[in-house]
Amino acid sequence: MNRENAEIELKRIFGIDHFYDEQWERILMIQRTGFGKSLCYQFPATQFDGITVIFSPLIALMRDQVKALNKKGIPARYINSEQTVEENSATIQDALDGRVKILYIAPERQENAEWIEATRKMNLSMVVIDEAHTISVWGHDFRPAFRRIINLVKLLPQSLPVLATTATATNRVQSDIEQQIGGRLTTIRGQLVRDNFRLYVIKVHSEDEKLVWLAQNLNHINGTGLIYTGTRVNTEIYAKWLAYNNINAINYNAGHDADTRKDIENGLMQNRYKSIVSTNALGMGIDKPDIRFIIHTQIPASPIHYYQEIGRAGRDDKPTTIILFYNEQRDKNGIEEDYKLPKAFIDGARPSKEKYLKAIEALKQEPLSERGLMKATNLKQTQIRVIKADLIDQGIAKEVVDGKSKVLEYQFGAKELDTQSFENLRIAKLKDLDAMVGYINTSQPRMQYLCEFLDDDNNINYSNCDNTNLDKLTVALTYEWQKKLSDFRENYFPILEVSETTSKTHKPSNIKWTINIPSENKIDVYKNDQLFGSFSCVINWNNFSVEEREFVESLLESHLARKSHIVNGIAASYYGVSNVGSALHRSKYENGGDFPDFLLRLTLKAFFKTFGNSKFDMVLYVPPTHSGDLVKNFAVKFASAIKVPISHKLVKIRQTSEQKVFQNSYLKQENVKDAFSYLSPEEINGKKIILLDDIFDSGATIKEIGKLLTALGAETIVPIAIAKTVGGDI
Amino acid sequence: MMKNELTYWVALTHTPKIWTKRKNEIIVYCFNLSKTIADFFESENFLGMELKHEEQELLSQTKKELANYAFLVEELLNQGYSIIPITSQEYSPTLKANLKYNAPIILYTKGNKQLLQENAIAIVGSRNANDKSLLFTDNVAKKASSERKVVVSGFAKGVDKQALDSALNYKGQSIVVLPQGITTFASGMKKYYKQIIEGTVLVLSVFHPKSPWSVDLAMARNTIIYGLADEIYAAQSDDKGGTWSGVTDGLKKGRTVFVRMPERNEKCANMTLIEMGAKAADIEGNPIHKTTEYVLHEQSCQVVAEPTASYQTNSVDKQIVDLLNKGEYSSKQIIEILHLSDFSTQKLSQRLSKIDGIQIHKIGKTNKYSLKTKKQSEQLTLSL
Repeated sequence: MNRENAEIELKRIFGIDHFYDEQWERILMIQRTGFGKSLCYQFPATQFDGITVIFSPLIALMRDQVKALNKKGIPARYINSEQTVEENSATIQDALDGRVKILYIAPERQENAEWIEATRKMNLSMVVIDEAHTISVWGHDFRPAFRRIINLVKLLPQSLPVLATTATATNRVQSDIEQQIGGRLTTIRGQLVRDNFRLYVIKVHSEDEKLVWLAQNLNHINGTGLIYTGTRVNTEIYAKWLAYNNINAINYNAGHDADTRKDIENGLMQNRYKSIVSTNALGMGIDKPDIRFIIHTQIPASPIHYYQEIGRAGRDDKPTTIILFYNEQRDKNGIEEDYKLPKAFIDGARPSKEKYLKAIEALKQEPLSERGLMKATNLKQTQIRVIKADLIDQGIAKEVVDGKSKVLEYQFGAKELDTQSFENLRIAKLKDLDAMVGYINTSQPRMQYLCEFLDDDNNINYSNCDNTNLDKLTVALTYEWQKKLSDFRENYFPILEVSETTSKTHKPSNIKWTINIPSENKIDVYKNDQLFGSFSCVINWNNFSVEEREFVESLLESHLARKSHIVNGIAASYYGVSNVGSALHRSKYENGGDFPDFLLRLTLKAFFKTFGNSKFDMVLYVPPTHSGDLVKNFAVKFASAIKVPISHKLVKIRQTSEQKVFQNSYLKQENVKDAFSYLSPEEINGKKIILLDDIFDSGATIKEIGKLLTALGAETIVPIAIAKTVGGDI
Repeated sequence: MMKNELTYWVALTHTPKIWTKRKNEIIVYCFNLSKTIADFFESENFLGMELKHEEQELLSQTKKELANYAFLVEELLNQGYSIIPITSQEYSPTLKANLKYNAPIILYTKGNKQLLQENAIAIVGSRNANDKSLLFTDNVAKKASSERKVVVSGFAKGVDKQALDSALNYKGQSIVVLPQGITTFASGMKKYYKQIIEGTVLVLSVFHPKSPWSVDLAMARNTIIYGLADEIYAAQSDDKGGTWSGVTDGLKKGRTVFVRMPERNEKCANMTLIEMGAKAADIEGNPIHKTTEYVLHEQSCQVVAEPTASYQTNSVDKQIVDLLNKGEYSSKQIIEILHLSDFSTQKLSQRLSKIDGIQIHKIGKTNKYSLKTKKQSEQLTLSL
C-alpha cells in the first residue's frame, strides 16, 4: 500500500486528509469497542508485501478474527498455546514461506526459540500491538510478557509501521504507552460513550441476596449474556445454583482445559446458554455483537476494568442491561464486605520485601528455573511469578534460555530492589478501587461517571441508568428462597480431581491418544486432546478402527499397569464457603473436640450421592502429622455408617511436616514422598478402597497414598474429604 | 547512543561479504557527517556515500532485514547480553587503537564491561601445553592480577584455561574471548556464573551471536585477544596453528610479544618466535635482557633446526613493503624487481592481500599495489 492509498483510507475512517510524516509510522489508537479498530490494521496488512504480526493477549480474539479473515479469503493464522507444537510449527513455516499475510501471536511467544528463530527470516511489513493498555503497569491488565514487545518495538527500524490499539486508556496510561513506545508516536482518541447501555447498581447485604436476585430475575432479562464473579470458585457455585433453579447457565474459568473453554465459547456464540458465569477472562475480544447483558457479582478493581468488561456487551447498539452488585454490609471493623476482596488483591499483589530478598539471594548462588527458585525459597508459584517479573523489570535478573528450559540469572552490577515503586503502584490502585466504589454511590449519570474517569470529557446529555430515567432494582429475600438456598448448599459437592492420564502418540498417524479414568466405572478416551468418548465400564470399540482399537487397548493396559488407580473423589463442601470451614478450624486448631456430627452427615450425603451405587471393601484414613485422632474418629463413624470395614494399618513411616507449611506443590510432594506404609500389604490386593481425609488442599498426600495402594494391588481408590480448599485458604 | 540504534549496528556488522575495514569506513563517513548508522540505513541513498554497486545491493538487502535484526537484538538484550558498538564509550580503547580499521564493529559481552577499560595482558599458548608452560601462565596471571591488570584469554584447553583459572585464583579479573557466538556458550556461562555476576569475568564475542564454534572463528578470535591487550605473553607455540599465526601476526604489526624461553630439548617453536623478534621471558614472565642468555639456549635447542617457511616469507613481506614504500607496482613488477622466482603472479597477489596496509589500485586490467597513505590512518584515530 502506498501512502496515497493509505491517505484515502485515512480520510474515510478518520476524516483526516493526510498523515504527518511521523504518523505514517507509529500510531496509538484509542477507540471504543465496536469502533472497528481491527479493520484499521487488517486492511493495510492485506496491501503490504510482507507479513503483519499482531501481538494480542486474547486467544479467543485471535481465533475469531482469523476465522473471519479466512472467510474473506485473506490468509491469516495464529500461533498460541491452544495449538499443538506441530500446528504452531506449521504456521511458522507458512509464514516463512510467505503464505500468511496476517499472523496473530500471543506475546508470550516472544520467549519461544522456534518463533525467535523464524523472526530472523520473516518478511515483516507491520507490527500491531492489540490491547496496548496491557503494556502499562498503570493500565488495568498489565502483562509482563508485553514488556518484551515494547523493547522489540523500540528496536524496530523507524520505517516499519507500528500500530498500537486499545479501547480504554486514561491520560496517564496513554502517556505511559506513548513514552514506552517511543517519542514519534501519534495518538488518535475517540469518544467512549455507549448510549445503548442501561446501567444499574444493586446494593445488597449478603451474598445470598445476589444469588436469589439472579435466580428470580435472570430469565426475565432479554437475550443471553455473561455473569462475572470475582473468583473461580464462585463461577462454579453461581453456575450450579442457577442450574439448580433451572436456568441454563454454565461456568467458565481459567481452570478449564482448552477444549472445554473452546466449547463454552462456541456455546456463547450460538446462544446455547442463557448465561455463562465466568471470571473476567471470558469475553475479552469475543466478536459477538449481541451480548444482551453483563452482570458483575463483584466490583472490578477500577472504573477502567469495569468499562472494559461491560464494553464487550451490546456491540450491535441495541439496548443492553448492565448490572453491578455490591454488598455494602459492614463487618465489625466497619469495612464493606465487597470492598475486601479487591482490596486484598491489591494489598497482596506483591510479596513482602523479605521474599524478594530471599529470591535474590538464591539467584546470587546459581541460575535457577522457576521451579528451582520455588524449591530454593519455599514460595508459592504465584508469588514467584510476581517476583520474577519485578526482578526482570528492575534489571536485577534476566531470563536466559538454557538448552530447552529457561533460567533466571542475577545480573552483574544490578541495582538494589526498589520497593518504593511497588508502594506507589499500590496507592494508585487503591485510589482506582475507591473510584470504583464511587461509581456505586454516585448520583451522577453512571455513563458520565465512567467516561470522565477515562478522561473522555465530552459534553453529552447522559441518561439511561438508575440514577436518571430507570427504576432502581431491589432484592426480595423471602423465607422460601432462603430455604431453597440452604437446600442447594447441602446438595452441592466439590470434586477432588486426582485421577491420572496416560498419553501416547500413534505413529505414523501422529494422533495423540489419552486415557483417563475419572471414576471407578468411567473411562475417558481423548483423541488429540478432544474427548473422543466417555465410556462406562466397557469401551464400545465400534467407534474405533481396528488399528485404533489395538493402539488404545495397549494404551489402556499400560495405563492400568503403570498409573495410580486413584479416581476422582468428592468433598462435602468448599472450605471457605458456608460453615464447614469454621467448624473444621475449631476442632483442629482451637481444641474444639471431635468434628461435629453435621460434618459427618454432610460427608455421608456427598458420598452417597456420588458413590451410593458402588461397593467398597475397606475404609482407610490419612494418618495425622501430629498426634490427634480427629480424622481417625471421624473415619470410624463414617465406616460404620456406610457399613464398610475400617482398617488402621495405613501408617506414616517417617516424620512429615504439616502440608500447609509448604507454599508450593513441589515441596508438598517432596514432604510426603515415600512417607506412608501399609502394615499388612497382602490385604490390599484387589480391594476397592475409600480413603478419608479432613481437608483436601493440593492433593499431594492423597496421591502419594494412592500410589502406594496401587503398588500393593488396590483395584480402585476413592478419596473423600470433608472440605476442599480454594487456592490455599487455610 | 540510543538503544534503538543497536538494530542498525548489528545489521551492519552482520552484512555479509563486506569487510570490516569497509564497514568502519562507513561508520567514519557517518561520523564525519554527524549522522548515525540509523540515518545511514533510513536515508534514500545511504547518505550519498560512494558505494560500489555490489555494496549497494548488499546493504539494501540488509535494510530489508532490519526488522529481523530487531528481533535478534531484543532477544539478546532480554537475555542480559550487552551489545557495544565501536563508537560507544564502553568499547575497549585498547582494541580500537590496536586494530584500527579492522577493529570489530560491535562487541557482544556478558559481565563486567568496565574490564574493557582496564590495563590488560593476553596469555596465549598451545592446547596441549606442558607443565612449564602452565607454570609460566600461572606466574604471569599472578603477576598481572597483583598489578590489577586484566588477563585476556581464549577459553581453549591448556594455556587459555590456565590463564583464566589462575587469574581468578589470584583474585584477578579476566576477559574470555570466545571462538563462537555468545549465545552458544551456555555451559561456560553456567560454570563461571558467580564470577560473571561478581564482576571478575567478562565474556566477549565478536561473531554472530548464534554461530557455533569453528576453526575459522577460533583463528579469527586470536586477533581480538591480541588487540584487547597491552602486552602479549605466549607460553608455548608449535611451528603452526593458532598461537604461531597469532604471534607472527602480532610481530608483523609491531606488537610487543613476550615468549617463554624454552628449556633445553623442549619440543616447541618458542625459540623461533624469539628469533623473529619476540621478546624472551623467563618462567616468571620477566623479560630476559641479555642476548647471550638465549644465544646459549639456541645452541642447545635442537628442535629449532630449520628456519621455517613463514620466517622466510615474512622477510619477503618486509622487502615488499620496503619496495612499495617507494611507489606503485604491479605484482609482475614486484616479482621482477625482488627476484622472487618461486612466486607466480597469482601466488604473490594472494600474499599481498594478507599484508596489512597495502591497497589495490585498478588500472585497466592490471592491479597496482601501493601502501596506504598515512592520512587515512590518522583520520581513523581521530574519528573512531
